[in-house]
Amino acid sequence: MKTETSTKATSAKKADGHRLVDEDGAPGRDRPWIFRTYSGHTSARASNELYRQNLLQGQTGLSIAFDLPTQCGYDSDHAMSRPEIGKVGVPINSLDDMHVLFDGIPIERMNTSMTINATSMWLLSLYVALAQERGVEVAALRGTTQNDIIKEYLARGTYIFPPPASLELTAQMYEYCLDAIPKWNASNVCSYHLQEAGATPGQELAFALATAMAVLDLVRARGQVPESAFAHVVGRMSFFVNSGIRFVEEMCKMRAFTEMWDHITQHRYGVTDPKRRAFRYGVQVNSLGLTESQPENNAWRIALETLGVTLSRNARCRALQLPAWNEALSLPRPWDQQWALRLQQILAYETDLLEYPDLFDGSPVVASKVAALKEQAQTEIDRIEEMGGVVAAIESGYMKSALVRSMTERVRKIQEGELTWVGVNRWPEAIESPLVSGNDGGLFRVEEGHAQQALAALEQTRRERDTEAAERAIETLKSAAKAGRNLMEPSIACARARVTTGEWAGALRDIFGEYRPATGIDGQPLALENDRVETLRSRIGALTAARGRRPRLLVGKPGLDGHSNGAEVIAVSARHVGFDVIYSGIRLTPSAIVRSAIDEDVDLVGASVLSGSHLELAEQIMTGLRKAGMNSAQVVLGGIVPAEDHAKLEALGIAKVFTPADYELLDTMEQLVELLEARSRNEARPQNQKRPQNQRG
Amino acid sequence: MSLQQLVERALAGDPVSRAKLVSLFSDTRPEATFDRMEAEEIAQKAQKPHECAFVGCTGAPGVGKSSLLSALVTRLRKQNQARLIAVLAIDPSSPFSGGALLGDRVRMALPEDDSGVFFRSQAADRELGGLSPATFQVCRMLRYLFDLVLVETVGVGQSETDIRHLADCVVLVVQPMVGDDVQLLKAGIMEIPDVIVMNKSDLTPAANQSFRALQTAAVRLLRPTDRSKVTTHRASARTGEGIDDLAALIADTRSNTDRFSEAETYFFEKAVRREFGTYGLDVLEAQGGAERVIEQRGFYEAQRWFARQIVV
Ligand code: B12
Ligand SMILES: Nc1nc2c(ncn2[C@@H]2O[C@H](COP(=O)(O)OP(=O)(O)OP(=O)(O)O)[C@@H](O)[C@H]2O)c(=O)[nH]1
Ligand SMILES: [Mg+2]
Repeated sequence: MKTETSTKATSAKKADGHRLVDEDGAPGRDRPWIFRTYSGHTSARASNELYRQNLLQGQTGLSIAFDLPTQCGYDSDHAMSRPEIGKVGVPINSLDDMHVLFDGIPIERMNTSMTINATSMWLLSLYVALAQERGVEVAALRGTTQNDIIKEYLARGTYIFPPPASLELTAQMYEYCLDAIPKWNASNVCSYHLQEAGATPGQELAFALATAMAVLDLVRARGQVPESAFAHVVGRMSFFVNSGIRFVEEMCKMRAFTEMWDHITQHRYGVTDPKRRAFRYGVQVNSLGLTESQPENNAWRIALETLGVTLSRNARCRALQLPAWNEALSLPRPWDQQWALRLQQILAYETDLLEYPDLFDGSPVVASKVAALKEQAQTEIDRIEEMGGVVAAIESGYMKSALVRSMTERVRKIQEGELTWVGVNRWPEAIESPLVSGNDGGLFRVEEGHAQQALAALEQTRRERDTEAAERAIETLKSAAKAGRNLMEPSIACARARVTTGEWAGALRDIFGEYRPATGIDGQPLALENDRVETLRSRIGALTAARGRRPRLLVGKPGLDGHSNGAEVIAVSARHVGFDVIYSGIRLTPSAIVRSAIDEDVDLVGASVLSGSHLELAEQIMTGLRKAGMNSAQVVLGGIVPAEDHAKLEALGIAKVFTPADYELLDTMEQLVELLEARSRNEARPQNQKRPQNQRG
Repeated sequence: MSLQQLVERALAGDPVSRAKLVSLFSDTRPEATFDRMEAEEIAQKAQKPHECAFVGCTGAPGVGKSSLLSALVTRLRKQNQARLIAVLAIDPSSPFSGGALLGDRVRMALPEDDSGVFFRSQAADRELGGLSPATFQVCRMLRYLFDLVLVETVGVGQSETDIRHLADCVVLVVQPMVGDDVQLLKAGIMEIPDVIVMNKSDLTPAANQSFRALQTAAVRLLRPTDRSKVTTHRASARTGEGIDDLAALIADTRSNTDRFSEAETYFFEKAVRREFGTYGLDVLEAQGGAERVIEQRGFYEAQRWFARQIVV
């Protein structure tokens, strides 16, 4: 969860030489950006307590993280949901949960931000229905639904419907909000997640801007928003951006964003008011580069990354949230978050950063770098437009392939030492960190038992509601969807009739269908050619000859976890060294993985789990294989796995566990091949008595 | 487990045994030929091959072959639970590492608990023609296990025409096109299909225009064989449009045993060429040709016998 500890970022200061002055010419300093922090929570009741506590301490905004089932449109009692209930956010099954979540909180005075995407319309409907039942004026509600579906297909993974239908829902929300909730930001375009999936600065710029244009173009094409109000819609567009370790380039990227958005809003959409052309953005700094080994170094990385989005006044963020030093180990503990928050406070209040006008205006170096980034981005935007726009470029897999290529390229550079990663590929030897030697090992633990609460509440809702009314509401929703009508009102009616999250999404799944985007790994080269690769290939060649078939590896992403980077990189590398690889993308049930392992008769199943549910999911996979009598496949697992769980996984029958510390892909490949070689040595085939000893002379 | 047990269990529908048996039919070790012969004998003794029809699905990359097959399989299973279906999907292998990414499963939204469907990905393994070296052999065994076999070929170019030798019905999938793309239809690949499906018909208006162009092109198709007329269809794996018609068409496909023995000859010859090059073909010719050799010795024995002829 993000919590806001300061509210206003705007200020009316002007530049006067090297100083900032206010209206009367008195020197002053800028107000800082909004400080945000993440915190996890597990049930509607627990979250409510947390919010109320924060509000007592003077916080005025709420930022809500939902658990993966809620984000993917499943009820808590769906088979896919079980291991994930309440893990990374609050589970919301129905309006009853919303009443608990906001119990005692005056929503008419809140600015509520929801990190929700495919089910955005549903969560907004629940929020509106809550206001209605409480007698709060709906128009007074304020807040944001993240609602950027494009980056879900590309990086974050909580998509449901095909792209055209999903974008229509977003457009419908803009239309509804325009009059009904004018202070609601219907969506927030994210490039943050793209960088986490490997995007270069040019790709980040291009993909985010192209996404924003796709939404605005659609709103305009639908013709429901009057011409006069369109500038308002444009002005509502906001962004969520990443800031990586190359902080000078990142600073230039932010200036490029600002300039390009100004141009687009003016020329493509004819917005004349400069205020409505402002590039409004929040930031989370890069986490992909934060390491498991020597985790204390991450503190420095985070500090440097912060500079990229704060140094340049003209391109400074409006809100900032920082990951914690133990990012690659687990969710942050409260102390970790406090430490991260202190960094922001030191930067904003101890340093002189906020006393100056823009430091880079007029710098030829910066201007030239910005121009170069803009050109890269424009070339990419043009290419996407030529393909028919973002939807076409998603469906053809073009954008995803581009990201996977960047990601594999990044990984290759790390392998070859072209990219320095301190404590990983350089200076790996170090004194052990005292930070991880505490009682809890520097790890956050989720409290047990909350899942039960969510399940009980859901059951109660189902039991107490007027079933017929709920069914009628669903039917109305479905027929509106079939007819292409705006679904906000029917969804609000569903919310009030105690329709559940899974039912709402299920009804629309029936009409729109479900979508699985391209995995982007087809035909991806890995530009890694060396002796070790050659040796691996010949070892696999030898295995192939000895066993009469090329080793088959199934890379599987069980559960609702959307972290695909690791699985993609492993799949690409495995093919590169000669495996036949089966990879079907994210969000598979353990039983689907078992089924694939059997039908495909694979030698290895490689599960990748970063959501923290590895124990449950590994157990389900192992049980499934055993029950079916599939004994020939060995199972390995990779992801965020705390050290103490390794033994538990091995006890379940997992042959090997890999974590971010195993960044050396060829080491990993060698270990996989070793497993197969060991198995091959004592393999038994069905015996055929008649088979002669010598076949081909 | 003995081979006898393996085959029996596979015939009884045990998913693991079925998969292992299919693997045996793609095993590249020379001695596996023996096991295969044996396995087929066991299966033959136990039961007749099903009246199994083979349907091929081909077309350029990304036109929606897998999505369409997924929709069709779901429909066909729903219509008739007794009809057992196997899908083979072939993907290209890397010429450098030999490895392949087998990605067609992504589109296969098959019911997890339905063991009446079997899906296997195969790597083309540098074989030209759009199938894997093992596809035909695997199909031999699938005849005993399934009622319908659907084969998705490698989705590239226009030389992927081997499917014509294997399938009782070849479905060419295309997608709505603009302008010049329609020209492509007239070349090579258009000579193979019995059925042309324009998928993604939900993409209007491009769909309407291309479908008309397609119908015109199909009428003028010169077919190398005199099979019945090529039919054209519109469909959408996304909206379900046209799926019923196609499912009916596939359900009506009858297996053709003559076709199967022609296929034996063709794929035997192809295997000889792959393993022993033109020299092998010359030797084969000297022995009276593939058809004759198979006729005299049977499919498996022919392979073993031939290998002995050629190795000195
Ligand atoms: C990048 C990232 C993201 C990206 C993912 C992009 C993508 N498409 O993959 C984005 C921004 C979308 C994202 C989102 C979220 N994330 Co995140 N994310 C990360 C991050 C920073 C890096 C992971 C990564 O990609 N590493 C690079 C790859 C190459 O390494 P890897 O996955 O570890 O894989 C290597 C090894 O582990 C191993 N391996 C992995 N799998 C396999 C499989 C096999 C077969 C083998 C042999 C080896 C192997 O080999 C790989 C190569 O070396 C981690 C923290 C960290 N620094 O590790 C958090 C982290 C995983 N995320 C986390 C969370 C909570 C989330 C969210 C739920 C946040 C939220 N509330 O919305 C969302 C939800 C997304 C979803 N749908 O599930 C948590 C998980 C907490 C936990 N497990 O307890 C982490 C640990 C951060 C944290 N400390 O809070 N995230
Ligand atoms: N709009 C639309 N998209 C479709 C339809 N069918 C498939 N697609 C999309 O087309 C893309 C490719 O689909 P696949 O089924 O993988 O195509 P394929 O021909 O099997 O591809 P390869 O096996 O890679 O050659 C995916 O993004 C699908 O979602 C359809 O009927 N309508
Ligand atoms: Mg396919």
